[in-house]
Amino acid sequence: MRKKLQKQIDRLMVAGATSVDARWYPVEETSQLLMWNGNLKNASSSRESGIGVRVLYKGAWGFSASSDIGNLKALFDKALDNARVAAERVTFPVRLAGKVPIRASFISPNRIDPFTVPLAEKIAFMKELDVQLNQTGVTQRICELIFIRKQIVYLDSEESEIEKNIVEVFPTIQVMGVDAQGESHSRKFSPSLAGATRGWETLDPQLFSENGARIVREMNEVLVADVCPKDERSVILLPGIMYLQTHETIGHALELDRILGYELAYAGGSFVKLSDFGELRYGSSKLTARANATLPNSPGSFGYDDDGVPAQDNVLIDKGLLVGAITGRQMVEEANDRIGKTIFNGSSGANRATALYRVPIERMTNINIDPGSDGSLAEIVKNTEKGIILDGDKSWSIGSNREQFHFATDIGWLVKDGKVTGVVKNSTYKGETVKFYNSLSAVGDTSTWEVRSVDNCGKGQPNQIMQLGHGVPVCRFDNVTIGE
Amino acid sequence: MKELILQVLRDLRTYALSKNVEATFFYHEEESCLMRFANSAISLNTNEHLIRLEITAFEGRKRASYEMITDLNKLDEMKQGVDIAAEMVKHVQPLNYQPTVPVYWETFIDESVFDAALAGIASEERLEYFNQAVAGLETDEIKLSGIFSSGVSTTAQINTRSEHLQYFKSSDAQISIVLAHISLKWEVIAEQSAQKKTDLNPLGVRRDLTFLLERYRHDTPQQLPLGRYNIVFGSAAIGDLLNMMNYIGFSGGSMKRGFSFIAGDQVGQKVFSDKFNLTDDPTRLETFPFQRDHMGISRKLFPIFENGIFNAFTWLQDDADEFGASPTGHTVMHKSLVLGGGDKEVATLEELVNLPRENDLLYIPFLHYMNIVNPSKGLITASSRFGALLLKKDGSVAVPYNVRITQSLLDIFGDRLAWLSRPQAVNNTSMSYGARNPTAIVVPAFIQVNDLEISHSNSTY
Ligand SMILES: [Zn+2]
Repeated sequence: MRKKLQKQIDRLMVAGATSVDARWYPVEETSQLLMWNGNLKNASSSRESGIGVRVLYKGAWGFSASSDIGNLKALFDKALDNARVAAERVTFPVRLAGKVPIRASFISPNRIDPFTVPLAEKIAFMKELDVQLNQTGVTQRICELIFIRKQIVYLDSEESEIEKNIVEVFPTIQVMGVDAQGESHSRKFSPSLAGATRGWETLDPQLFSENGARIVREMNEVLVADVCPKDERSVILLPGIMYLQTHETIGHALELDRILGYELAYAGGSFVKLSDFGELRYGSSKLTARANATLPNSPGSFGYDDDGVPAQDNVLIDKGLLVGAITGRQMVEEANDRIGKTIFNGSSGANRATALYRVPIERMTNINIDPGSDGSLAEIVKNTEKGIILDGDKSWSIGSNREQFHFATDIGWLVKDGKVTGVVKNSTYKGETVKFYNSLSAVGDTSTWEVRSVDNCGKGQPNQIMQLGHGVPVCRFDNVTIGE
Repeated sequence: MKELILQVLRDLRTYALSKNVEATFFYHEEESCLMRFANSAISLNTNEHLIRLEITAFEGRKRASYEMITDLNKLDEMKQGVDIAAEMVKHVQPLNYQPTVPVYWETFIDESVFDAALAGIASEERLEYFNQAVAGLETDEIKLSGIFSSGVSTTAQINTRSEHLQYFKSSDAQISIVLAHISLKWEVIAEQSAQKKTDLNPLGVRRDLTFLLERYRHDTPQQLPLGRYNIVFGSAAIGDLLNMMNYIGFSGGSMKRGFSFIAGDQVGQKVFSDKFNLTDDPTRLETFPFQRDHMGISRKLFPIFENGIFNAFTWLQDDADEFGASPTGHTVMHKSLVLGGGDKEVATLEELVNLPRENDLLYIPFLHYMNIVNPSKGLITASSRFGALLLKKDGSVAVPYNVRITQSLLDIFGDRLAWLSRPQAVNNTSMSYGARNPTAIVVPAFIQVNDLEISHSNSTY
């Protein structure tokens, strides 16, 4: 098959294409198990295979995909035809930043391939958790396991040939209860990506058991708690919400395609301008953010992106100063050209497609915040006069240029004069992105730093759902509006 | 092609029966094309042809499913899928209720939503539509973005309980055109939904864009003071609000799981304004309807709210099985929601702007990034986007920066609902993720809701 694909790539280059690549998925499997109140509501598996072909012709992209690999010529011709029509309306002819041809492979680290674990064993794991979650106050118990395995062979007209074998595991447990006013509240747990591997071995029964007991206890505390006050104070974000704050207001805001207006008709743009790189104080000097696709264990680590560029570790925000963006090969050239100087030195290795039938676009890798020097969570709380600790992503809504946001969390703990004084329910906070990050007043040390995975980041038209990660510490922001 | 699809499904049924496997088969085929524009260029031109087959095996109270992307000429691979689902179902645990396996009492073929002309639209024609819709409107500063998504969806179902089949074929197009000022960062949009080729109306889109551009190009945007406003929502915003209600309002399963602001005992009670009439109407072709649900239940006009009184929850078969409710014919890929029009004669934005008014009105055509803050209260939050206008009582029009509203659906559609326009609009709500599933909702072109709070107001775009 690889030889056949290479032959078609060569053929289109002769026909006038300036770049051609093919992603062949011999197999992509997904297995999903959902147990709700003890009922195995969903036990499903899926399997996909096929090829996606991307062609650059006269500065315009064409793409075609099919599960039918019996007629490669038609598939490749269709991609070229699509590019030919697109070439009739070009304003900035696409150029691709340089890269080194790579012939390599990547295997995501896992000790036990979850697809080798018998279904009965997976269900037994869930059943045991379900029994443990079945406690007083709990009206809904949800346990979900998602496993993904994909094999991707990438070939292009620049002599690259890369094979990736990636396994992902996404487990979640959640409990819900109803308070005296008839309102539902929820608490959930997904493990931090501790350790070096991401196979079945990450489903540690003891870890889930301990955290299951914790979320039941905390949810019951929420059920009898007062409503979150409406005022202005410090918010201390635990990794269970800080990961999403980072995702929405650093990650998405710094995707270079978004900054250049490629998502305007759909997900929105970014308040960031090209002239902001090297200039904008995105946050306080305590904020250093990076896109690190080289973490050993995360869905944001994939070896090589779908431009065939190796994974990288790049600083995005250096001690508060905006310095980098999330980008593939195409956007770099356009951005440098538009501003008339070199602000990006090449692809940051972040172009990925969710499936064989989607075209690669700029995607987050692991968008991380470096741990700081403000100690443990206990020390940060001790140094907080009037605050609230927040955890659990209940709701998130972000302005179309990522310039402002509103989050609701599953739980809040009020802090007064360095002490936690009690739990509140219906906790929310809101802010304006740059003002908010500039109010960052404490960043926890490595004891607070956790890597969280995201399995459902949506972007692009046609829409793509992507998996990635965020390594974040506990962070405290001052003068934030809560309770609205 | 239809005959081949039906024959393959019959063959799979025969195979399952020969293996003593109780199964349902759900076939989904899509031909999808999407031309995407950005920065006044075609940034992507793509097409996919995908066939998905979902096989669900049953064994008493046990159920498991296997989905594959496949081809009609791969019958052996599909049969293997039956074997895999049959093997899976042996190892799953039983539900604590009996899942219903459908029985189709007749073969039902529906191609009324399919238009061959729209299905066959070429890339060049899509480009021409865009060229007409924005002719003369682009400048060095004002750039075109948007999509022309079109395609054909074919679904077909059979099961081992009966030899009858169900077959549905539809054509659809979803078009959205954005003109954005690249340095000032404002955006205006016009959209249209099409079920047949003759629905395509690039000049109508151009008219809307021209009207909005005129306001945006000659006005200085302003930051609105926080506080309460009388707000007119456009059809896209109304569609998004109703879709949210579909999820946290009248879904029986959501209600039983504590994820709804309507309680089980509110059937027959007044929940919203008496101006509020919401139905599920599968006779409206604009909504890409299903006349039968997956269970073979004939779908008829289904009133959800009548004069603000809550008539009934809608039930998925699986939820009905679990909670002992009667199925309502809503085991479908999407409903056909229609919000009845009111008595205000206003069909276009120009007519809205020209309406005499006693107070300032804030016009919000789109709600961006809506999310649920508190499902039990119907509390949602979202920001304005794309062409909002402040219609001042003195008759003038100003352009506001984006604002955030955090409000309960109970307030938006409750007694503060001032009027609904009589003319309706079709709002295409299709998502382009996963299997193609064209959806649209029919709503009044505009509704006015009084006294809603703006909780955040941008000082820039
Ligand atoms: Zn995302």
